[in-house]
Amino acid sequence: MKSTKFIVADADKCIGCKICEVACHAAHDNLNYTVGAQYSAITPRLHVMQVNGKYVPVQCRQCEDAPCANACAIGAITEVDGKIIINEKTCIGCKACLVACPFGAIDLRPQIHNGEVVTQPRLKTLQDADENKSVLVAYKCDLCAENETQACVAACPENALRVYNALDDSKAKALQSALALHAI
Amino acid sequence: MSHNLIHIDKDICTGCRRCVDVCPVDAIHGQSGTPHEINLDTCVACGQCVQVCSSYLSEFESTPTIYAEKLAKRGMLSSVHEPLFAAYAQCHTHEVKDALANKNLFTFVQCAPSVRVAIGEEFGMPLGVLTPGKLAAALRRLGFDRVYDTNFGADITIMEEGSELLHRLTSGEGKLPMFTSCCPAWVKYIEQDYPDLLEHLSSCKSPMGMAAPVFKTIGAEIDNVDPAKIYSVAVMPCTCKHFEAARPEMNASGYQDTDVVITTRELAQLIKDAGIDFVNLPEEEFDQPFGEYSGAGAIFGVTGGVMEAALRTGYELLTKEQIPQLDLEFVRGDNGLRTADVALGDMTVKIAVVAGLDSAAKVLESVKAGTCEYDFVEIMTCPEGCMTGGGQPKLLLDGHRKLAFNQRRAALYSHDKDLPVRKSHENPSIKKLYGDYLGEPFGHHAHDLLHTTYTPRKVK
Ligand code: SF4
Ligand code: SF4
Repeated sequence: MKSTKFIVADADKCIGCKICEVACHAAHDNLNYTVGAQYSAITPRLHVMQVNGKYVPVQCRQCEDAPCANACAIGAITEVDGKIIINEKTCIGCKACLVACPFGAIDLRPQIHNGEVVTQPRLKTLQDADENKSVLVAYKCDLCAENETQACVAACPENALRVYNALDDSKAKALQSALALHAI
Repeated sequence: MSHNLIHIDKDICTGCRRCVDVCPVDAIHGQSGTPHEINLDTCVACGQCVQVCSSYLSEFESTPTIYAEKLAKRGMLSSVHEPLFAAYAQCHTHEVKDALANKNLFTFVQCAPSVRVAIGEEFGMPLGVLTPGKLAAALRRLGFDRVYDTNFGADITIMEEGSELLHRLTSGEGKLPMFTSCCPAWVKYIEQDYPDLLEHLSSCKSPMGMAAPVFKTIGAEIDNVDPAKIYSVAVMPCTCKHFEAARPEMNASGYQDTDVVITTRELAQLIKDAGIDFVNLPEEEFDQPFGEYSGAGAIFGVTGGVMEAALRTGYELLTKEQIPQLDLEFVRGDNGLRTADVALGDMTVKIAVVAGLDSAAKVLESVKAGTCEYDFVEIMTCPEGCMTGGGQPKLLLDGHRKLAFNQRRAALYSHDKDLPVRKSHENPSIKKLYGDYLGEPFGHHAHDLLHTTYTPRKVK
């Protein structure tokens, strides 16, 4: 059976430098090269966590029975080419997918359209009556859907990240065990 | 000797130790996985750790108050809204902003060669974009009374350093090899790690260090202003230049010659703070007379550039003939050590170009052992010279560093090629400076303003 791929990290290799997070931001939201030319905050789709003194990035598993998709009332989450994709244009920011995701892989951030933050036409913020509230939408790892390679995987200086493909992986492991059996 | 220029923010550092890998003097300490610290006695303030650090303050761990506090602690303007990383260089933008607002001060500014091939990057322009005209225009709009240029200082440096080298080669006085002394991190390094070899350092101040006292003496005279009222700012690709400017020797004008140094990044922040639309600025000129420069001055920004500039002038001063080839390809390149034998008249001069203190240490060890064959060695701390300095725009991704370096280098060489004058000694303003004020290069008056001394500073 063909299953979705996802990005998996090796906690023994990760040094916690967060380059993967920066690369994720650069791949999705940024056209400029330098830190001074960043016009939005770094909003990565994976997060380097520290537990028991060790670092490891966590990100979306592209679940088969995706709880986020099941929770979305408006059907903004679909599978496209083996990737679970949030349609940031139709998302209404209800946060049901954030609640449903067991890995904390989904977050909210301002919706951007043509490089501009999208605001709500009628909803004003109380603190500042003249400002329209910006629209927040759910976002998560899309396996760099627009590109051939995955930015985080390419950027990691320790090769701690890889794209896990269940079928290839089990084939490779089966081959290893066959070789081991031959050796006996 | 300690300084207060480079720091690691404990709240942001994850202890990944990538900075430890690039630090040339092992100044960064800590347990992996925990925040690291810099020993500011040994640190040479090259800022390479600042360039490489990728651990940033996450939105999830920050609030507007935390962010504002961090900006203040780093000396950054409150208008800045870029991501903050763990390793950082202390900023001095407030000092410059205050000075520009102070109507009692007469403000000078100078800009290093490398600033004009990188500052555009901070405004979303292509990597390595060459913008001397917009740079001059931006500085004028910020309110500087005189917009002068370190490239002019670089041309003075060549006059002095070239003459000093010829003096050492022909008179038998002074030690060989002679080392260049433009790079303050390198100077701090040799002072603390190889104090016995200090006599090998050229006594020349850096281009910034030469231009600054010229501004506060001759420049003051030209503009008829009291030097006490002059506030002189230098914009550098370098996080260590502030250290150089604060050295007690740097007061040949009777005042601190350079009052404050800011980096390329800090200048971009000031320009944004003032609401100046850098990308759409017209092309303007630097002010005369200290804004006129040769192509030789321009290539100071790239490793091998000082050597190439010195050879162009040294050859002609010694042989009284035109140098047959201006582009000296054999000193160009991006590897840590390049060597060549150069014929100057009937003399063969052995030269070496070094980028990085690792390679410098090898040369120093060979000098110690008495096996060094070179006569003249250019040494820079940063990976490919000043255009890769610690104060240059920080690339968000490591993967873009090499691309940026290549484009900045290409821009510096093409700038050199396109300038009408490509040799320091042919710069009309340089001729006038020596003719009207300084007298002979490496002469008495030049010595007082343009040369310096060094101090052994063994770190315990
Ligand atoms: S300062 Fe930056 S590069 Fe150095 S250990 Fe800390 S996070 Fe890593
Ligand atoms: S500034 Fe340079 S010398 Fe100082 S700690 Fe950073 S890398 Fe090391």
